[in-house]
Amino acid sequence: MAVSPQLHAAIAAHRFGLGEPNLGVVGGDAQGWLAAQIGPADAARGSGLLDTRQALALVAAERENRQLAKNPPAGQTAQQVLAGHYRESIVADARSRLATAAATKRPFAERLQWFWANHFTVSLLKGSTRGLVGAFERDAIRPNIAGRFETMLVASTTHPAMLRYLDNWLSAGPHSRVVAFEARRATRMEEGPRVSGINENLAREVLELHTLGAESARSGIYTQADVTSFAAVLTGWRITRDPLPDASMFDANWHEPGAKNVLGKRYGEGPDALREVLHDLAAHPATARFVATKLARHFVADEPPPALVDRLAAVYLKSEGQLAEVYRELIRDDASWGAEPAKLKTPEELVISTARILPGGDRLFDGPQNVTAGGGGGGNPALAVVGLGQRTMAAPSPAGWSDRAEDWLGPDAVWKRVEWATRVADRAGRNVDARRLAADSLGPRLGAETARQIERAADGSQALALLLLAPEFQRR
Amino acid sequence: MSLPFDPLDPDTPPLLQNPLRRRLFTAAAAAVTGSLAVWPTLTLAGAAGPGANRFVLVILRGGMDGLGAAPAVGDPDFAAARGPLGQFGAPALRVDSTISLHPNLVALHAMVASGEAAVVHAVGLPYRERSHFDAQQVLESGGTRPYELSTGWLGRALTASGHKGIALNTTVPLVLRGRADVDTWAPSALPDPSADLVARLERMYVGDPALATALERARRLHLDAPPPMQDGPMGMTANGARSGAFVTLAQRATDFLNQPSGPQVAVLEIGGWDTHANQAAPNGALANGLRQLDAGLEALRTGLASGGAWSRTVVVVASEFGREVAVNGTLGTDHGTGGVAFVLGGPVKGGPVVADWPGLARGQRYEGRDLKITTDLRAVLKGVLAEHLQIAMRVLDNEVFPGSERVRPLSLLRS
Repeated sequence: MAVSPQLHAAIAAHRFGLGEPNLGVVGGDAQGWLAAQIGPADAARGSGLLDTRQALALVAAERENRQLAKNPPAGQTAQQVLAGHYRESIVADARSRLATAAATKRPFAERLQWFWANHFTVSLLKGSTRGLVGAFERDAIRPNIAGRFETMLVASTTHPAMLRYLDNWLSAGPHSRVVAFEARRATRMEEGPRVSGINENLAREVLELHTLGAESARSGIYTQADVTSFAAVLTGWRITRDPLPDASMFDANWHEPGAKNVLGKRYGEGPDALREVLHDLAAHPATARFVATKLARHFVADEPPPALVDRLAAVYLKSEGQLAEVYRELIRDDASWGAEPAKLKTPEELVISTARILPGGDRLFDGPQNVTAGGGGGGNPALAVVGLGQRTMAAPSPAGWSDRAEDWLGPDAVWKRVEWATRVADRAGRNVDARRLAADSLGPRLGAETARQIERAADGSQALALLLLAPEFQRR
Repeated sequence: MSLPFDPLDPDTPPLLQNPLRRRLFTAAAAAVTGSLAVWPTLTLAGAAGPGANRFVLVILRGGMDGLGAAPAVGDPDFAAARGPLGQFGAPALRVDSTISLHPNLVALHAMVASGEAAVVHAVGLPYRERSHFDAQQVLESGGTRPYELSTGWLGRALTASGHKGIALNTTVPLVLRGRADVDTWAPSALPDPSADLVARLERMYVGDPALATALERARRLHLDAPPPMQDGPMGMTANGARSGAFVTLAQRATDFLNQPSGPQVAVLEIGGWDTHANQAAPNGALANGLRQLDAGLEALRTGLASGGAWSRTVVVVASEFGREVAVNGTLGTDHGTGGVAFVLGGPVKGGPVVADWPGLARGQRYEGRDLKITTDLRAVLKGVLAEHLQIAMRVLDNEVFPGSERVRPLSLLRS
């Protein structure tokens, strides 16, 4: 391959990492720099972060808060009391996600944690996930990104955030004890039962979005009947409305009795069946292909080279889903090192890479400023992610944020990038030599036209705005 | 009276052969064959010029429950099938003996009453699986299978007609993608960048056509844009659209559409329809979504009426699929197929519900589960595109909705 070590370093820093101000960080062995980062993601940075157990306690305490809201303290409305309950933890989670990415010395691992948190999306857009999204990333994703896929799949599927996000906590077997009990109570109270049976949401999305992929439904690998019976397997995996932090996630009273057939295989009654189904799903060739395609799309191109996908899927199957092996193949493969930057950065990637190349940028998210409130707009990088169309931890749907340029390249989206970069550059541009930063950060990727425009800029701020908006920095 | 389906079409549901079927009056579908004859077969020159007709598409992402938005309270099986979801806190708003509207759709109901809106029920796509993402791909691409087409039906229609389009969103949704003239607009809190910076960026983007095109379009839109309106509180939803501001987006759309040389076609979207649980909650997702949708549709009507364009505007409201007839185990509904669509505007022949009503008994449902699709959404869209945007039937059959020759257009406009 006719790629110079400097170009290799630039690709490693920007395509596989999250941006570096100086390619000297990568050194002469770009592949080695990436390989050394393979492993669990860094511990999340920041304070006020709850683990899953503490987050569950916060959810449980919501009930007391609802009582308090009925009689709010002087100077507060009921709505303020309720909104305040999760505010601190949501702000701490969002700030931590950005601060960790801005400061990490292992940006490849951090990008992988982003990738998997997006693959197993849990979004704040649904009220029932409040307080739990950060704990989900920290406990279900971060430790598991370089282990077996199955481990992360089980951690995700049985995490309270996912059980709530995709409604499984409300799903009951039609013949379960709780449904019989509810029916008797409803008759006595002369009202309808609150719980009467299955909710398919989690079952469908695990098959379609987390494992086999939608293509598998189209080609008949799974059917509506599989969705329904997998949903029956999932019944009982829940947390209560007022969870106890040490409560088990499985409640046999909600579980559908009897054996179930999923993808032609019979699974017994009880909590073990879920792990067996997830084991079989993780080992399925369609899952290998789906995961390989998504990884290649994230790192290489919106339409990834089929041969690369084939090789990643083969490594996945041969290693029984050892993700570290798949990553090693990804960074070994020539197809991953094409000189043209094919991937457009998402808003979050743009904001984080900006923070990483600007002096002091790694501390931008550690400050006391509020992530979700306050004025200023473009100056606060956390708010910027919202303004650019990608609110932190709040993907629009269970499919997560798009990994395709066309979904981020609308005229208005590009205009908002220009507005934001102008604002950032107004503040930071006087203290930065954009000409030097462009050369140090982009190395041989810096094109002649971009270098010329930065050189000819009217002032330091405009030069920095041009660097942040350059095709070489908007893409990776 | 005629049918929304061609009886010669092998895909016509067998229900049509049943003389005892309950069928809602299909006045709006009258004389499909007759009106076909007077539709232009060639795109008229000047159809896209100033004073041209306007078209608005509202996409409801997440699968709106058709039986929640337009409950079939007159169907003998409705109450039993829907249980607690058949109660709305207030009386449903009657449209005809079978179908009513959710009590939060007040403005839409008034438009139905004044003959400016039509409710099209038991409507859906050729796609019959239940994935949001695949169904939205089919809804927007206009294909018959997911990922068969990579551009959008409206984008291809605009290519043929020469109309200009705008998406009230940060990015261009699939439905408008193609080679057409499409802008996007969404509210911003930041001041516009300097013209000097933009000129330098244009030079820098010479080697990156995708960025260059997006910047060029944005620049023109911002230089020519009408004065900014007050923005309401925002909440992000599907694909970056701000559903909390649906009314704001609708108002802004009317500003664009009222300009004589502005875009003639606008696409808006509103998410949050995936109501798997507690669907009947009075301030839950469905009730709030319908309230917002209703306010947005009313904003379109009043805004376009004040600019004189309402008499030349047709609005189509559609979702990727409907939801299961039965209540699920959590007082919500899981993904289904058949649903409801709304068509409104000055030229619309409103009034009774347009549907070949399939019934709600288990045996009448699709796979024993969903409201059966008896009207192809493409029939609605083809009718509007042909009658209102003067797009030739040949183009509709071959380019806009390829493979839809057998889907006969439904005439929903006053002649």
